[in-house]
Amino acid sequence: MARWQFRPPIERTKQGFRINIDEREREVVRHLLEEMRSLLLGSSDHPALKRVFPAAYHQAQHAEQDAEYQRFMREELVASRLTGIDTVMEALSAKPPLSEGQVLALAQALNGVRLVLGTVLDVGEDDDPDELDPDDPLAAEQELYGFLSWLLEWTVRALSPGLAGSA
Amino acid sequence: MPVAPSPAVVDRPTTDETIDPDRPWVVLVWNDPINLMSYVTFVLQKLFGYSLEKATELMLDVHHKGRAAVSNGSREKAELDVFRLHEHGLWATMQQDD
Repeated sequence: MARWQFRPPIERTKQGFRINIDEREREVVRHLLEEMRSLLLGSSDHPALKRVFPAAYHQAQHAEQDAEYQRFMREELVASRLTGIDTVMEALSAKPPLSEGQVLALAQALNGVRLVLGTVLDVGEDDDPDELDPDDPLAAEQELYGFLSWLLEWTVRALSPGLAGSA
Repeated sequence: MPVAPSPAVVDRPTTDETIDPDRPWVVLVWNDPINLMSYVTFVLQKLFGYSLEKATELMLDVHHKGRAAVSNGSREKAELDVFRLHEHGLWATMQQDD
């Protein structure tokens, strides 16, 4: 009888963290992160980046303070995201074990891409992520969004102490 | 008896009437359909040191009530907290306490 053991896509081991996704899936993540990098290096007013750079002051009477925040902090946010992408690119090709910092960067980066894809897909509160329409012109994006949700969920699980999967 | 102006007022001369330097600021996280519940809970624990229970409670407030106050303090502190939340992709804003 074959012995088969379930391995989560990301797990915390005694030595550190380990990413168990295969090379094809790693390529998908790399590709998405490269697209994210290009997007971040372009205009930060790109509509797909709406959720990546939200307002800091939501009240109309603080519009001036928000403009100031955007002027000074947006560049910092872009820089922080770009550094994170570099960290993840390195981690995806590194030998295990990975550090907690690398896995944190992975969680942030995966979430960043989800924000962009979710904005493009105009994800709503009641959308069923498992309901895929193959004829949808955005079917590929839908599938990637689902893949990232799955991977991020496991990444968070591995990082969270006291949760199943974080042994 | 004359009241001496507080250092905060002296340090931050402002002609801006929309900001009262003595009123604390609140950082809010807003509900959005994209962020995963587990991720939001995790970020709140990581950034503010909340227990899993407290972070879960705040996340559920965001989810059910549309928003939750996750931290408060001076304008500088609130802005830094908002920035850290933005770095993690959460939809956070700040406003002055009523």
